[in-house]
Amino acid sequence: MNAVTPSARPRWLDIVGLLGVIAMGFTVWLGLWITPPDVVQGNLARMLYIHPPIATVALYWAGGVALAGSLLYLWPRTRSLFWDRLAASAVEVGAVFAALTLVTGSLWGRPAWGTWWTWDARLTSTALLLLLELGYLALRRVPTDPDKRARRSAVAAILVAIDVPIVHFSVNWWQTLHQTGSIVDAGFQIKDVHGSMAWTFFLGFLAFTLLFVWLLGVRYRIETVQDQVGELELEVSLSERWSEGGELVGAGTPGIPTAPRGSS
Amino acid sequence: MRYVDAGYASALGALFLYGLGLVLRRRRWERALKASGADGSGTSPAAGSPS
Repeated sequence: MNAVTPSARPRWLDIVGLLGVIAMGFTVWLGLWITPPDVVQGNLARMLYIHPPIATVALYWAGGVALAGSLLYLWPRTRSLFWDRLAASAVEVGAVFAALTLVTGSLWGRPAWGTWWTWDARLTSTALLLLLELGYLALRRVPTDPDKRARRSAVAAILVAIDVPIVHFSVNWWQTLHQTGSIVDAGFQIKDVHGSMAWTFFLGFLAFTLLFVWLLGVRYRIETVQDQVGELELEVSLSERWSEGGELVGAGTPGIPTAPRGSS
Repeated sequence: MRYVDAGYASALGALFLYGLGLVLRRRRWERALKASGADGSGTSPAAGSPS
């Protein structure tokens, strides 16, 4: 087993995080103070500067990275624990964004629809997404060797990803209370949003996307270091076992194997 | 506005706390990695997992 050396933290990630915080600051400033109230929704429309971007990250960015990482792990030619760690990181960050999608949606739904929650197709399929992601994370905590865990997780991530198009098309497939897409409809046609409202809307997407990349990078780093620590612990405990075995054999105990020196 | 304020506060507050939690977790694991000898020496025993 080779010695594990910690890889350096990428500098660009800190820059992405900083840009995300700046973009978020501008989104909040524009969203709460600068943009005018909507003709129909009034001030409630300000929620749309954060709710659709959060949902976009939860569904498409996190779901996309998790699916791509899992498929690339399962594909023999590209199989690497890098893809497994990336997918796991995306699912965890995605679960946070999915929970926030439900919370911000609920806070919008109460004054707009008169209810915190309804068993609407979009809401239910989003809640299912969160539950599937939590199931994935629970499955990952079952102790086993890294390759077996990665294989199981990859299959689970594909099951999670199946729900993503269901969430996307739910407002078209079923008669739902939830409106169709805020900026892109089911046919991927961009709707009309004008002026400062449009800029704030797009800035919100940028801010949450940058924050997602930063969170994903930090989470990936934790996943990598965790595996490195696990490898080192295994290495140390194996070498301790071998040395114990060697001492016992040296003391004349039969039947306990000794490892060749330096083979751990 | 109180629903909107609550929406912004909950979203940004949760993301801030989650981000802070990740940074602290990363630091703890990096310390554990250093303590377990991956700092180049490769000789000291592994520290316990910080989870």
